[in-house]
Amino acid sequence: MSISLALFSPPTQPPLLFPSSPSKPHLTLIPHLSLRPSKFHTTTKASAENGAGTSPSAAAALEIQPDQKVAETPKQVVQKDERSVGANGSAGAVETEEDKVLSQFVDPKWLGGTWDLSQFRKDGKTDWDAVIDAEARRRKWLEGNPETSSNDAPIVFDTSIIPWWAWIKRFHLPEAELLNGRAAMIGFFMAYLVDSLTGVGLVDQMGNFFCKTLLFIAVVGVLLIRKNEDLENLKKLLDETTFYDKQWQATWQDEKPGSSKN
Amino acid sequence: MATAFSTLTVFFPSKTTITRPHSHSHPLTIKASSNSTNPPLPGRKLRAAVIGGGPAGSSAAEALASGGIETFLFERNPPTTAKPCGGAIPLCMLEEFNIPSHLIDRHVTRMRIFSPSNLSVDFGKTLRPNEFIAMLRREALDSFLRSRAESFGAKLVSGLVTNLELPESSTSPYVVHYTSDNSRHSLPVDVVVGADGANSRVARSIHAGTYACAIAFQERIKLPDHKMEYYNDLAEMYVGNDVSPDFYAWVFPKCDHVAVGTGTVCAKQNIKLYQKGIRERVKHKISGGKVIKVEAHPIPEHPRPIRIRGRVALVGDAAGYVTKCSGEGIYFAAKSGRMCGEAIVKASEGGDRMVNEDDLKREYLRVWDSKYVTTFRFLDLLQRVFYGSNAAREALVELCDDEYVQRMTFESYLYKKLADGDRLQDVKMVWNTIGSLIKCNMVGSK
Repeated sequence: MSISLALFSPPTQPPLLFPSSPSKPHLTLIPHLSLRPSKFHTTTKASAENGAGTSPSAAAALEIQPDQKVAETPKQVVQKDERSVGANGSAGAVETEEDKVLSQFVDPKWLGGTWDLSQFRKDGKTDWDAVIDAEARRRKWLEGNPETSSNDAPIVFDTSIIPWWAWIKRFHLPEAELLNGRAAMIGFFMAYLVDSLTGVGLVDQMGNFFCKTLLFIAVVGVLLIRKNEDLENLKKLLDETTFYDKQWQATWQDEKPGSSKN
Repeated sequence: MATAFSTLTVFFPSKTTITRPHSHSHPLTIKASSNSTNPPLPGRKLRAAVIGGGPAGSSAAEALASGGIETFLFERNPPTTAKPCGGAIPLCMLEEFNIPSHLIDRHVTRMRIFSPSNLSVDFGKTLRPNEFIAMLRREALDSFLRSRAESFGAKLVSGLVTNLELPESSTSPYVVHYTSDNSRHSLPVDVVVGADGANSRVARSIHAGTYACAIAFQERIKLPDHKMEYYNDLAEMYVGNDVSPDFYAWVFPKCDHVAVGTGTVCAKQNIKLYQKGIRERVKHKISGGKVIKVEAHPIPEHPRPIRIRGRVALVGDAAGYVTKCSGEGIYFAAKSGRMCGEAIVKASEGGDRMVNEDDLKREYLRVWDSKYVTTFRFLDLLQRVFYGSNAAREALVELCDDEYVQRMTFESYLYKKLADGDRLQDVKMVWNTIGSLIKCNMVGSK
């Protein structure tokens, strides 16, 4: 952080020296754009110039690399784009209208920005599990291949299309079974242990305040700590929750121990 | 007898009232009561230096000057330099600071937010006809506020402040060293207001500590007319790991072009990749456009560890008053500047007495914190919950489809007050939040 702050320290002109990462060449941003387009190219992925070969102009224009995202997976639709170079000298516009979407999620069941539920029928009813699976696959694919947003083909799918009981059946019930099982095992074992150590039977244990507290802790523990990593996560969560607050209170900490000179 | 009488007049001055000559805003009345223990100033008014002439500095200078304090407003940039900024201000700022409508370039009444899977939700159905988000050019706003401060009596000094010399005792002055017209000058003052932004030199001089900064990077793109039509009153927000790992990317319409940009805290070295990401996401909407400017600026993420030391107070970006989640800072800068100015006027009884650190903390910092810390904390919570992963972002966009959520969001943003909502709807909103988060996490994590 301090490095970036030092780099951002005010020069006489407002926009600043941009501290690009060491592998990239040093870029200077100045108000009136005389950015050489070629410099900008080297910072993006190494991609070839378009064959149309527009001359890089020193005028205020940046050229975009059009040809990334060469298709590898079958679900991508790739189109070559055509650059139309303006007749006037200042070339280098952003893609023109003839460009098609370079990568797009394509699937026979995905129609009009949502899943076509009529294609998910099984035994005369919609197979919600398959819909959930399909959407999960789609989102995972999108993580690696983000799509361009489009005004003509808006995405309409949202998880509330899937009814609540489908979620419960699929995800909540198996997990509930797991957790209840754990709770039951812990409960039986602890009840046996306490009985053998103190002679207090199960019914009498429930009447004791200390035992009830232990029971509460056990239930909360089973709910919150499901994997080994959860302990660490919970500790971090607690820190994070109070971190921002601590930063706000920091200026008041100075009050007690010897205030600074006036 | 005579000496006793004169002592009495020194320590119990007559009550003075100072009213602010504003037409729309509530007239501010400061009654100088006589319980200050600070020494009165001998035959002169309190001198204040406001370093930085942005919204924070100008508001502070205005409050100080209209309170009767001798104010010097330092600004290093000529009035036409544009500060890289989103340029959106809420309605309450237009009212509270009397911003004239000719400064407003656009009235944004629609906002569209796009999830990582490009599910989009339109915000703005709940806006009343006279409600909008005002987009303006920073250079226009800043110039206006500066000249208004000047009209109230603040002296504008065009120069770069190089150093702030700290005093030895509680009554000796702070010396502001600055360069102006290629020559070095110095000015002794009693109180300093640091309003010089994210890289505040004043903050460094008083060892106020550093803060984590996000970097906001944007390109201004001039679009062909028919594409610009689409953005006439619409601003867009994009979330997703491809455009920012912990913030959002935006397309904001400005006077005759759009600003396409993104920001991040944790992955600053990849900012160019994220900018490419947002360009990809809006490819069709900006195709045919020309980039006319590229700019970047740091945005503070949280307040500095020390915001007041001695007789120096920090306001605005220098203090770190930028909300999380939305990255909004202009209103808070102006408001904190004004609050600080008013605090100094009150504590010094219209410029007649010296002030000290406790006065500043009591009148400015405590008032500010009690008013806004909840807002800031809440937005921090929202950012942590919803900007953390793609699944959470999907949940955020799904939730935004609800009319109640939209109404609450806009009201809180436009009026900076906790909007009074319906208890039942609140419960429903929380329930839906949990539900959406769970569902999207399930779908996203497979």
